[in-house]
Amino acid sequence: MNSKKSLIVGAVAAAALIAVTGCSAQGTPSPSEPGAAEEVTITYANFISNGGNEENLQKIVDAFEAANEGITVEVTTTDYANYFTQLQTDLAAGTEADVFDVDAGAFANIRASGVLAPFEGFDASAYRQGVLESYAVDGAQYGLPSSFSNVVLFYNKDLFDAAGVDYPTADWTWDDMSTAAEQLTDESAGVWGHYQPISYHEYYKAVQQAGGSFLTEDGSASAIDSEAGRTAAEWLTAKSGTVMPTAADGAGTPDFDTNLFKEGKLAMWTTGIWMIGLVGDLPFEWDIAVEPGDAQKASATFSNAVVVSQNSEHKEAAQKWAEFLTSSKEMVDVRLSAGWELPPVSDESLLAPYLEQTPPASRIAVFDSLDSVADAPQLGANATQIQDAVGNALGEIAAGRTTVDEAIPALAAEIDGLLQ
Amino acid sequence: MTKPLAARIALYVVLIVGAVIMVFPFVWTVVTSLTPGATLTTTPRLIPEDPSLSPYIELFDRVPFARVIGNSLLIAVVSTLLQLVTSAMAAYVFARMPFPGRGALFVLYLATMMIPFQVLIVPLFAEMKTLGLINTYAGAILPTIATAFGVFLLRQAITTVPYDLDQAATLDGAGHFRIFVQIILPLIRPALATLAVFAFLNTWNSFLWPLIILRDPLMQTLPVALTSLQGQYSTQWDVLMAGSVISIIPMFALYVFAQKYIVQGVAGAGLK
Repeated sequence: MNSKKSLIVGAVAAAALIAVTGCSAQGTPSPSEPGAAEEVTITYANFISNGGNEENLQKIVDAFEAANEGITVEVTTTDYANYFTQLQTDLAAGTEADVFDVDAGAFANIRASGVLAPFEGFDASAYRQGVLESYAVDGAQYGLPSSFSNVVLFYNKDLFDAAGVDYPTADWTWDDMSTAAEQLTDESAGVWGHYQPISYHEYYKAVQQAGGSFLTEDGSASAIDSEAGRTAAEWLTAKSGTVMPTAADGAGTPDFDTNLFKEGKLAMWTTGIWMIGLVGDLPFEWDIAVEPGDAQKASATFSNAVVVSQNSEHKEAAQKWAEFLTSSKEMVDVRLSAGWELPPVSDESLLAPYLEQTPPASRIAVFDSLDSVADAPQLGANATQIQDAVGNALGEIAAGRTTVDEAIPALAAEIDGLLQ
Repeated sequence: MTKPLAARIALYVVLIVGAVIMVFPFVWTVVTSLTPGATLTTTPRLIPEDPSLSPYIELFDRVPFARVIGNSLLIAVVSTLLQLVTSAMAAYVFARMPFPGRGALFVLYLATMMIPFQVLIVPLFAEMKTLGLINTYAGAILPTIATAFGVFLLRQAITTVPYDLDQAATLDGAGHFRIFVQIILPLIRPALATLAVFAFLNTWNSFLWPLIILRDPLMQTLPVALTSLQGQYSTQWDVLMAGSVISIIPMFALYVFAQKYIVQGVAGAGLK
């Protein structure tokens, strides 16, 4: 008796379902099928253009399509924070784009899962080698760097002149820097010699500058309980209170270092190139230099790259687009006129409009820093905790509450426990 | 009325402090949205310096706003209606039609509320890919239409309706469908309204699934489109807050009109 009624109920539900499916049809963009033999459509998923550069990316796409008859590029743009959520789902379901963005942190895992196609027959000389190597594994190139940002040494020329100290050069080491910082510090005038954040990011780089590495070669354990690890900790923490303001003075609070430099009270400043645009017009002469190292140079570099999917049906066209996007003159021109961050291209003539802007006069230091890139350690799931642990330990040393010899072995053990 | 004055003053002090704490983020949002170039890192100002609508204009410039709001409304309304249909029918069965294993099935159904959605995303996405529903409204709506919460809420409401009414109707020759439509549904209207409000709020605010399934900028919903305003290194907070203010408006309106039902429904079901 009741079964008839439940049939009706079922029919209503089915009708409702059809209604949903029906209303979807109007909004569904028809999938672009590769039509004629030469007509190829490749998809490109990106985050680099998100937040204001969408139209600039389209200009690069237009230039590429004009130069490559028959290839169409379909762009999807997602914000950085959510891009990787989408990418993971896509990789799991096999629906990833032909060409897609990765950042240096995500690259290793994605590459290891075997979904990336190596680049073949591309022009490696078009890129600065240090960054290119970040995306190469066992001699194969799996990603082409599409943009970068890095850390250089800013310095106030007027303060150097007043103290009679020579400007930093590419040959400088930590010793030269310490000596200069001491000479430049003038407590009565409130002038400090050097400011470098006491943080995880500075530390892993300093360990490499001291000739060591933050993790062991296979990445399974920390390698900081070593000569280099101690030297680096000493280097970062000993400045506090002698040539650099202490936390009690306000160091580490937002914009503290920026304001100090802008007021002309900081002689040397280890910070990112994004500050070049942010410091604005200053009433004194200033310049930048490649950051000095100790045993070797190593500059903190953040980069993004484009990769080609192993599942792509149009690998050749996909690779062409990836190359165009990262090394073409058209791309450099669009980015320069838009003030969009540049990829690590090697051809200085392309970069002329960027390099000619002053201050700083030595803008080329931005690109020269790319010759020795500090590799960011792969910290795994507990990355944030490890970074906090490093920051805390260094802060304790800088404040004089513990010593390098006590804190570093304990920190190394803590990191080992957090690595998985 | 009879409370001592001191107790009443204390009560109002607590309420006012609570209200200020609750309202402050909203005021900050509105003020930021009216201050071009504002950031959230500086000390908040309660009165905009140099107020201007330019963040709103830029917002409409950057995001296909009418289309995005249309998407959000369509998905939220259709999903809400279907949730009401599926939940009410399932609830009726669980409340009124005894069959072997009904209790166990109901518990099993409720247990699905405990599974975090994040766990389901990849299989669900793969399923949608097989069905060819990626980047469609159907793909965004279908996974939301059967909710254990809705079934539970309505089942509780239906059990409060006296069974005598069903029996009387059966004597008059009514079948299950007629009882469901003509007797039960009108009597659980407050619960239906509550569920409608909850369903609408959830779908309207829903972020993760629309983000994954809708890829075309013209298909995106409001919360997803808003995050596209955030950059890798920096965010234009004024524009983002302008978008947030606009996204709050429909929910604010809904809440003002349906506040009675929300409070009633929550109190009735003993849920929060």
